[in-house]
Amino acid sequence: MTTAPRLEMTEVVKTFGPVRALDAVSLQVGAREVHGLLGGNGAGKTTLMNVLFGLYRADSGAVRIDGREVTITSPRDAIELGVGMVHQTFLQVDTYTVVENVVLGTTLEGGSHGAGLSAARARIADISERFGLHVDPDAVMEELPVGIRQRVEIIKALYRGASVLILDEPTTNLTPQEVDALFTSLRTMVAEGMSVILITHKIRETLAVCDKMTVMRDGARVQTLDRAETDADHLAAIMVGESHGTYQAPTVTEAVALGTAPQGTVVGDVPETTFEPGVSVRGMTVRNDHDVELISGFDLEVGKGEIVGFAGVAGNGQVELAEALAGVRPLQSGSITIDDLVLSDRATAQWLDAGVAYVPEDRHRDGILPTSGITENLLLGSHRSARVRKNGLIDWRAARQRAQEAIEKFAIRADSPATRAGDLSGGNIQRVILARAFAHRPRLLVLHNPTRGLDIGSTRFVYEQIREVTAAGCSVVVISEDLDEVIAIADRVIALYQGSHAGEWRSDRVDPYEIGRRMTGLGTSVGGAA
Amino acid sequence: MSEFLTLVVPMWVVFTLAAQGTILSGRTGVFNVTQEGVMALGASVGFVVAYKMGSNLGGLLIAFAVGALVGLILTVMTTQLRLDQFVVGLALFFAATGAAGLLYREVIGVTMTPPKIDTLTKHEIPLLSDIPVIGEPLFRQDYVFFFVVLLSVGLYWFMQRTGAGLNFRSVGENPKAADSLGINVNLARTWSTIVGSGLVAVAGAYFPLHFTGIYTDGMIAGRGWLVIALAFLGGWRPLYVVAGAAFFAGMDVLGQKAQVIGLGVPHQFIEMLPYVATLLVMVFAFRWARQPAHLGSNYDRESRLAG
Repeated sequence: MTTAPRLEMTEVVKTFGPVRALDAVSLQVGAREVHGLLGGNGAGKTTLMNVLFGLYRADSGAVRIDGREVTITSPRDAIELGVGMVHQTFLQVDTYTVVENVVLGTTLEGGSHGAGLSAARARIADISERFGLHVDPDAVMEELPVGIRQRVEIIKALYRGASVLILDEPTTNLTPQEVDALFTSLRTMVAEGMSVILITHKIRETLAVCDKMTVMRDGARVQTLDRAETDADHLAAIMVGESHGTYQAPTVTEAVALGTAPQGTVVGDVPETTFEPGVSVRGMTVRNDHDVELISGFDLEVGKGEIVGFAGVAGNGQVELAEALAGVRPLQSGSITIDDLVLSDRATAQWLDAGVAYVPEDRHRDGILPTSGITENLLLGSHRSARVRKNGLIDWRAARQRAQEAIEKFAIRADSPATRAGDLSGGNIQRVILARAFAHRPRLLVLHNPTRGLDIGSTRFVYEQIREVTAAGCSVVVISEDLDEVIAIADRVIALYQGSHAGEWRSDRVDPYEIGRRMTGLGTSVGGAA
Repeated sequence: MSEFLTLVVPMWVVFTLAAQGTILSGRTGVFNVTQEGVMALGASVGFVVAYKMGSNLGGLLIAFAVGALVGLILTVMTTQLRLDQFVVGLALFFAATGAAGLLYREVIGVTMTPPKIDTLTKHEIPLLSDIPVIGEPLFRQDYVFFFVVLLSVGLYWFMQRTGAGLNFRSVGENPKAADSLGINVNLARTWSTIVGSGLVAVAGAYFPLHFTGIYTDGMIAGRGWLVIALAFLGGWRPLYVVAGAAFFAGMDVLGQKAQVIGLGVPHQFIEMLPYVATLLVMVFAFRWARQPAHLGSNYDRESRLAG
């Protein structure tokens, strides 16, 4: 026998009530290895890692580190054993500085002021230097962009001496350049003897950085593969789980979106389609939550059946743009009209009646009532509709009926229409929100990061639904930080930088790296193909 | 002026002590609303023990222990059983208020003239107490005053200047982050609430032991609720609380004074003034004061709900 693997999980079982989230899953990760953990929503990737990190307690199963069986009942145990985790939603104290966040939970010699922190500062500088993770140690967390906040999370784990680093969907909010930088850092780490586990559903990334990959589906491990013995199509087939004959290769656009085809693949010379005028935005000016004018004099035309995609790094006015277009945020000036019906300055109910549907970015905060059932959540916004009313009251039987239909049509993984929305996984919450938006028969559909964290099947499903409403003449605005998604779904791509247009392309003639430069404010570069 | 200050300082002790106890648990995310009841209970326990044992220090210590017990119940209910903090807090307020009156009647009974104890003796700091105007009120005080001064400075030092304080505060700002870094969220909440609630009870015991020498039902007179407002006004920071408490104490004494002098207005109106002033200050203070992000919300590690 050769030496034991760095990490070994055997037959791990975890149930949430009646749902079997992990069904005897085993995983082996060696030293000096980037191990991809692939799978769709509810596949159990994050749950498995939460067990490893001590956030969830497994019902049964064993964990071995360097061949020694260990019991991990809390993150503290995990950290002491050298396991670090970077969560999808960052676990940071917004009001603390970078150093304060990094040292949090460690014992400090000499207090949290002045001298006590200077040793920590030096160590952070050292880590930054070694792994190419540059940050300003004294910046206040809430003022930092997502990419930097993620670096802080990684530094936090390394500061604690992590030898196994878990990253949960780390590339979701990053520009292509930032993804490249992250992967370089990860390769440096494994070269120094660490192990990295990368939770992802993006096949291209997996192939770019991983040495080995384990595919999960429905709470079970499907297969573990070597990078050398697989390719994109093969992986996609295993992930989707239609490998036994029924699997069909996705179209080229989908393939780009799903990351199975290289970026910049030419989709084909489709003749430029023209659209009937639909939604018109004139001179729109919007302020952010801090009363700063973030979008000024913004013009936009979206034709009937047209999909306009906005690409950009988070924090460049996406939230404000989305909310203004959806009627959730007031305009300081300017107008929004749909078919000559002026909607700006009207009450939200009138926007809804006019057929404006909104899929917000922050599902948990803006999208659902977490403690209400699926039925109630689907009813929101259409509670005045005749279909669910009887004698002036809500017809709950009809509402439940609708919810049951939506659960089936949108393949929502839930026990019943009464399941609390907050108990669903992220992907399933998104399905509820989409079911609600599409039920409005929209004329203007505003989607913000609609497929963030969704698996291939769900993503494809969302795209199909969007195409369906555009076929019915709906104008669609997709605002996404996933560049591939914007390119794949939109007829027109607009780069958003600091609240204004930074370039516009037809989606079949774009170079993602060029958009990446524009949306980070770099302007045109000549012959800059990376 | 010196006379006015002499009246304000003891009231400042009450407000500061109770508010430091409140922010201590608040900083770990436990929103304590039991003050009015726990202060009454502290007054009752403090008086009864001092009367029976003949020891004022004993009264203060037992009052602390009883307050700590209420704090323990509050945290078991909210961290272990994850019941709503506000509802549990209100229930404990009623229970403590009732227990305060019951204890007094069981031990002392109903009497024509209520029994009286000696109030705390004042200690003089030589030289400093000779300073005009502020010397007398600030440097000729009982030991509770000096304890509160040290407590406030100590709390500031602990929260803002030590690594342990950094960990401690993070529990109220983002318990999930704290947990993921190996900080024991429930332990921090339990201890902070036990100690905090104990301090609140001592603030209540100060009424019979410093001001009156007797216990009467309703002697806290709504000040427990004002303490909650004070915690917000002070932005849940120990030193701001010290300043805020001075304002609250000043308004309190002004209200009492105006009653005695007789201004030709109903005294109920005068009594209302501190609260109105508080309300006005809160309207403006809330614009800059910020509370711990997870104040009042329970933490469930395995919950998928946002937070």
